Amino acid sequence: MPIHEVGYRAWKQERTSQLYRCWVICETGIRLAAKSPWVRRILFVAWLPVMYWGAGFFFLEKAIESESGSLYSIIDPEEVASDGAIPGLEEQFQNGRQSAGRMAIRSALRERFALFPHAQDLAKSLESGDPEVIRNDTWRWLLMVFFRYPQSLLILFLIGSIAPSLISRDLRTRAFLLYFSRPIGKLEYLLGKLGIPASFIIAVSTLPALALYLFAIMMSPSLSVFWSTWDIPLRILGATVAVVLPMSAISLMLSSLTHESRFANFSWFAVWALGHGAWLSILLVASEMMGKSPFHPDVLASNQVQSWSVLSLYNCLGDVQEFIFGFESFEDVWRGTLVLACITLFSFWILYRRVSAPVSI
Amino acid sequence: MSLISLENIVKNYKTMRALDGIDLTIQPGVTGLLGPNGAGKSTLIKLLLGLVKLTTGSGTILGQPLGSHGRQVRNMVGYMPEDDCYIAGMSGVEVVRFAACLSGFPKLEALRRAHEILDFCGMKQERYRVIDTYSTGMRQKIKFASAIVHDPEFLILDEPTSGLDPEEREALLSRIRMLWTEFGKSVLISTHILPDVQSICDEVVILSQGKIRLCESLEKLSQTESPSFSLRVTGNEADFLDRMKDHGFVSRSSATGDLVFESDDPKLATTIWQTAAESGTHIHSMMPARNSLEEIFMANIQEAANANS
Repeated sequence: MPIHEVGYRAWKQERTSQLYRCWVICETGIRLAAKSPWVRRILFVAWLPVMYWGAGFFFLEKAIESESGSLYSIIDPEEVASDGAIPGLEEQFQNGRQSAGRMAIRSALRERFALFPHAQDLAKSLESGDPEVIRNDTWRWLLMVFFRYPQSLLILFLIGSIAPSLISRDLRTRAFLLYFSRPIGKLEYLLGKLGIPASFIIAVSTLPALALYLFAIMMSPSLSVFWSTWDIPLRILGATVAVVLPMSAISLMLSSLTHESRFANFSWFAVWALGHGAWLSILLVASEMMGKSPFHPDVLASNQVQSWSVLSLYNCLGDVQEFIFGFESFEDVWRGTLVLACITLFSFWILYRRVSAPVSI
Repeated sequence: MSLISLENIVKNYKTMRALDGIDLTIQPGVTGLLGPNGAGKSTLIKLLLGLVKLTTGSGTILGQPLGSHGRQVRNMVGYMPEDDCYIAGMSGVEVVRFAACLSGFPKLEALRRAHEILDFCGMKQERYRVIDTYSTGMRQKIKFASAIVHDPEFLILDEPTSGLDPEEREALLSRIRMLWTEFGKSVLISTHILPDVQSICDEVVILSQGKIRLCESLEKLSQTESPSFSLRVTGNEADFLDRMKDHGFVSRSSATGDLVFESDDPKLATTIWQTAAESGTHIHSMMPARNSLEEIFMANIQEAANANS
């Protein structure tokens, strides 16, 4: 007999709260998902863009800093202009304020990042305005691009590796009996399960974005920069919610529809690829008709391409992110937002019904 | 106070009636729930756990009204499902710990208790293996451990001994019995294995076609209507039976092949011994006859089928 054997022991202490039990489901799911070497690899790769963006924030801050420390910032332009001794000096001075750093950012935006949304608008806004506004605009833009391109694609792969098995595996191994024979309701089960993809999304998008923001604050000349950029962390959190809700709902809904996680896996990628593929086809047709390259701003802004943009969930998500980061007005993105909201609600509805099904039979 | 009290419970699944006016009272103790496949046992268990809604009727379980307090009920009840249910990728001890956490135990206490319960269930180092690699018997143990890890007041066990070898089966039955006798945990066992019920249950409920056919204590059911003896003999059995017939005692064969003599005559036992000596028959065993649960079960099922046709 083992020395620690105490037989059956009664237990009379307090039980933990219901919310804690959701966390238990979530934490167990995270631990099981993290056992997969592929998930660990994706997590590693997901943090690599942070270095690239970190370099971006570093050079941006260097450019803004060198500008504020230049000769032009020391001399008071009004004082110089009031002398009237040198005609045109004031104009030259204003041009000169736009230091080499700012010119470099502008030309980079116009040449290297021309294909990214709002790069041209941002470049134009750099021609005037004070450093505080420039800083806020460029930081928002950098983080929006960070969310929209590298992280969105990585999240697609990450969720594709984790979420399809979350409910389908419980259905296959009848693990739902283990949950529902305990004091766990369907909503708590769903919340716990939703927490799993949400945690991974936060780990690869929100945390790196917040880390970048902190890094940018540290690279800036003073901590008072926070007062001109305080809205950015809130925008990051908003963008996180916009990614977490639809992605978690759709992936778990697909997982709940089958006992075989590979079918859910295939459907997950199909949902994103087919919609975006259809929109790309429309984009190609429009570019042929207009005789311009497919990603030319005129083609992207054309009525045909804009109205069919909602076919792609990726575009809808991008629209919402652009709105959250303040680059689009709601009038421009309401269709994408509506489609995303409808799909999310529909997914939640199906998910709830599917989770209720095994115990009601 | 009764453990379970049900009044006119009806449960319909669309057009199918799974439970048809169930009136049932179960007292604390070990109770066997018997019934053929499709009798409504699983539906009754799900109703007790608050997992499915009543169509009509009312009742209480552990003093809680049925249907509206499912969560409180599941806090006090341990359920071991018949189906193989596990979370793939977890080790045995992790599954039991997870079950304890879901029932509201803090993490450390859950782990400690999981180990204790696995010791109690006779699970050794294999508890650290991934559950996907377990045999059916090992999974049964894990399910049993998960059902009792949160120290429930009442246990519902669905086919607890299926897939276990005879030794393990005996051990599990003695653990179940011990939970009642030493710790006061009431148990409801749904099973097809009648000897299991006979060996540990105090009360038996037979459910067939959604109706309760019988709810009686096993002690009462086992008693024959009149005093009787069950005999095993060798030697000249035919002569022995003839002589007994001459004395006015006619025998019948039981389900196990024993000879059963039923009579109110107080001389029955003496006559058996004398007749055996006269006919040169050896009596290997002689004990008061008891009704076989198998016979009772079959009679009730048959009765239900006849009533339906």
